Amino acid sequence: MSAVIPYHRVNVLTGLKSARLIEDAQEYADLIQKARRPLLILGPLLLKWSLDGKLLIEYALEIAKAANIPTCATAQVRAKMAELGVKPDSFYDVVEIINALKDPNWRGVKKEGNHDLVLFFGIRSDLGEQGLSVLKHFAPHLKTMTLCKYYFPHANYSLPNFRKDEQWKAFLESLIDNLKKGA
Amino acid sequence: MAEVKGITRKLKEIHEKIKAEIPWEPVGPTPMPEIPDLRNWDMRLLKTYAPFYAPFCDLCCFCTYGKCDLTETRRGACGIDIGTQQARWVLLACLMGCSAHSAHAGHILEFLIERHGPDKKIDLGGSINIEAPHIRTVVGLKPETLGDLVIAIEYVYKEITHLLDSTNMGQEGSCLDYESKALHAGMLDHVGMEVADIAQIVGFNYPTSVADTPLIDLGWAAVDKSKPVILFVGHNPATSTVVIDYLRENNLYDQVEVCGVCCTALETSRYSDRAKVVGPFSRQLFFIRSGIADVIMTDEQCIRTDMPIEASKAGSALIATLDKVMYGLEDASEMDTEGIVKQMVEDKKHFAILDPRKAAEVAAKVAMEIAPQRRKEWLTEEEAKELAKNCNVCGMCEQVCPNLFNIGAGIAEVAKGNFDLIREQFNLCVGCGKCEAECPRKIPIFKIMQVAASMESWKVRAGRGPIMDTEIRTVGAPITLGTIPGVVAIVGCSNFPDIRDIAEMVDEFAKRKYIVVVSGCSSMVAGMWKDADGKTVYEKYPPDFEGGGVVNVGSCVANSHITGAAIKIANIFAALPLRGNYEVMADYVLNRVGAVGVAWGAYSQKAASIATGCNRLGIPVILGPHSSKYRRLYLSRKEEDDWRVMDARKKEIVDTGEPSPEHLAYVCETKEKAMVMIPKLCIRKNDTPQGRAIKLNHYISLHKKYMGGGLPEDIQLFVRRDPDIPLVYKKEVRAYLQEIGWQPKEPVGLPTFIGTYPSKVPVDAVIH
Ligand code: SF4
Ligand code: SF4
Ligand code: SF4
Repeated sequence: MSAVIPYHRVNVLTGLKSARLIEDAQEYADLIQKARRPLLILGPLLLKWSLDGKLLIEYALEIAKAANIPTCATAQVRAKMAELGVKPDSFYDVVEIINALKDPNWRGVKKEGNHDLVLFFGIRSDLGEQGLSVLKHFAPHLKTMTLCKYYFPHANYSLPNFRKDEQWKAFLESLIDNLKKGA
Repeated sequence: MAEVKGITRKLKEIHEKIKAEIPWEPVGPTPMPEIPDLRNWDMRLLKTYAPFYAPFCDLCCFCTYGKCDLTETRRGACGIDIGTQQARWVLLACLMGCSAHSAHAGHILEFLIERHGPDKKIDLGGSINIEAPHIRTVVGLKPETLGDLVIAIEYVYKEITHLLDSTNMGQEGSCLDYESKALHAGMLDHVGMEVADIAQIVGFNYPTSVADTPLIDLGWAAVDKSKPVILFVGHNPATSTVVIDYLRENNLYDQVEVCGVCCTALETSRYSDRAKVVGPFSRQLFFIRSGIADVIMTDEQCIRTDMPIEASKAGSALIATLDKVMYGLEDASEMDTEGIVKQMVEDKKHFAILDPRKAAEVAAKVAMEIAPQRRKEWLTEEEAKELAKNCNVCGMCEQVCPNLFNIGAGIAEVAKGNFDLIREQFNLCVGCGKCEAECPRKIPIFKIMQVAASMESWKVRAGRGPIMDTEIRTVGAPITLGTIPGVVAIVGCSNFPDIRDIAEMVDEFAKRKYIVVVSGCSSMVAGMWKDADGKTVYEKYPPDFEGGGVVNVGSCVANSHITGAAIKIANIFAALPLRGNYEVMADYVLNRVGAVGVAWGAYSQKAASIATGCNRLGIPVILGPHSSKYRRLYLSRKEEDDWRVMDARKKEIVDTGEPSPEHLAYVCETKEKAMVMIPKLCIRKNDTPQGRAIKLNHYISLHKKYMGGGLPEDIQLFVRRDPDIPLVYKKEVRAYLQEIGWQPKEPVGLPTFIGTYPSKVPVDAVIH
């Protein structure tokens, strides 16, 4: 199989270990449900991007709710969440949460132990890819997963580069359904 | 014995070089420090602000054993691991940056010594006695002449060689030691920059000891394209100043338009306030492709490496004026002027001319000859619309865009006659040209974007060089007490997520009475915005180094004056001796001077090295999202880390639990987050209750403004006692503190790291 090239070429992998590409929402849901202490990192693009008029932050919060995943609001995401009446489980900026996740002895946002699966959603792709690189190299104790519409080589599990937003929307909706079913 | 003798001899040599016999101050413990001399200080910093590595490449290809896969815990054939490899990269980047500034310094110094002689006195005007805080602190020398600056720059050259040596295959094996070396390179960089700018001020008679420097016309619309146009690109003003001299001497200055992109533009406007500043690096390719420049003169740094191709495409003539960048062109320095002009005009040939006088004459003559024949018109909206219709929205342009946006969508809108989106996108564009190169339909994206770009022109204040000693005396107390809430230095290159962020940041913090200092491309971009009254930040705020002032120090090399001002606060205001006394200066700045650097669009290796130099001196730096590609940050973990300091008065180690400053090198994704981090990183343990209350007032109010109300979740870490709580938020903060069970703690009388790690410096050395 030839390597998948990330949509934004600045993120092209110069290395050997790249993310497993997963298109099946059921498989993603299974991985999330199998995790003991997942964490969902919410990035500021969730306030900018929408699918058919529905802001991505709303999808993200549905995912968090469906699988009971604690959230970490980065950048100004908390402002929008306050508007929506939802309180994030933690506030760290993206480099800070990654720095904490690197430490196997960190107690996690719920103070129940470090997380074993970290989902990235809505972080600009170059910064997100660099953050995933940190965890790939220095946090062998956890796995990473992405929910944005691009392929992220440094993650453990990534979506493909969706050619059309409808495909991404269908994936996210199906993921939410599967998570609800599994709950 | 031989070794002891050797060391003594070395010290004697240093003392000779720095003229130790001149007793302006006693020589401190580390004059002309070498790699190991400040290592303990570095390790102390790195203990709290640990390196955070984000590998950009998983492989190493430095030697013929490679490529080596360093993924996760793997090591290369030489034994290096991925973290150490990142640190090696960072050191290399810092060395590239430091070399760029230092070689610029060396070149300009040689040029000016040739012109004025080595005995030319350094005189920075009546308000500046501490002329060279970095050279005095690091080298231990008080430079009195241009010739003295040579001693400083030769020290820097020597250290660079040792540092570069350590990056060879099979050398350093510790990431922390590579970091210490990178910090060393960063420190040297500020010495090199200081040499360059002092030499320029003295040798070119730039304004000095004055705040109210002229306002310079800014923007490509400010360039009068009806005249022959000479454009300077780069950083080194050796040739641009000579061109202006030539035009003046030959009464041609009225007939020829002189302008520049990047720092040479800033330098040239310090020499002549009639020179126009086109804009930052991100506008370089746009302007070149516009064809407005008849002659392009390159010098060094941040110049397009494909300039000969681009110049030819635009029909402009090109002269490379410095040995750093010769583009494979024929060196015409020894050729006869008329012959060069003829070939440039008739055969459209480009040349390298390293003799500034000759380059100046050729540039003027060629510009005047070719200008009348050249067409310099923009596309019309109609033409742009027609060209845009060829776009099939394939998305290739978006895929290669380093700022990750979909310019193709903007082009598609233009095809429908709507320029709104592309006008918006122009603010995001870093001007790299990758989109156009990739477009399978060969759409002239730049020309189309240019139609949409604003035809406004603005003002930028000419760079003023060092902060005056008189200003330091006035602001020293309020800065260290905290009643001026901070010094915010918005500096550096133009890889901005959005160009508009800069003016907004300057405005926000000047309005709040921080001292705002700008430099380089950021200083230009700060001027590219007008308020409701049509005023730029330079017209809206005073040019003084005081709360609410907006100070443009100048180009990249003038960044040394910003860090220099921090040293001057320790030396002039706190009366701590600086000579060969780096640790004391850095410790003072880290613990007591609330300054923060913001390099929002940093891209170059120079920016990496400037920032790392700030870090060694105890100044935290906030970087924009692209800078995660620098591979390394210095981050603390506020709740877990060691925040103990020595109280120098009581000689006791105190656990403050207060993460101030919280990080040393930090990336944020958005402007909104930066707006909240800036006031936070200005907090220092030395703040008086009144000062702390002012700082927390800004931290809380900016947090409320950008983070959707509520208190910052870490506010309790920065409240020592009730008087620290700002009046306006008293009730809210008290209620929160009570809820979480906060306990008051005593502020530290005289906080210092000295005494908390092995150092030759006694604790008493920090008491003034
Ligand atoms: S320097 Fe070391 S890691 Fe790099 S290619 Fe050579 S052996 Fe491999
Ligand atoms: S690459 Fe060219 S054709 Fe494709 S979307 Fe961009 S501008 Fe249009
Ligand atoms: S020139 Fe501008 S739009 Fe084109 S790729 Fe570069 S940043 Fe993106």
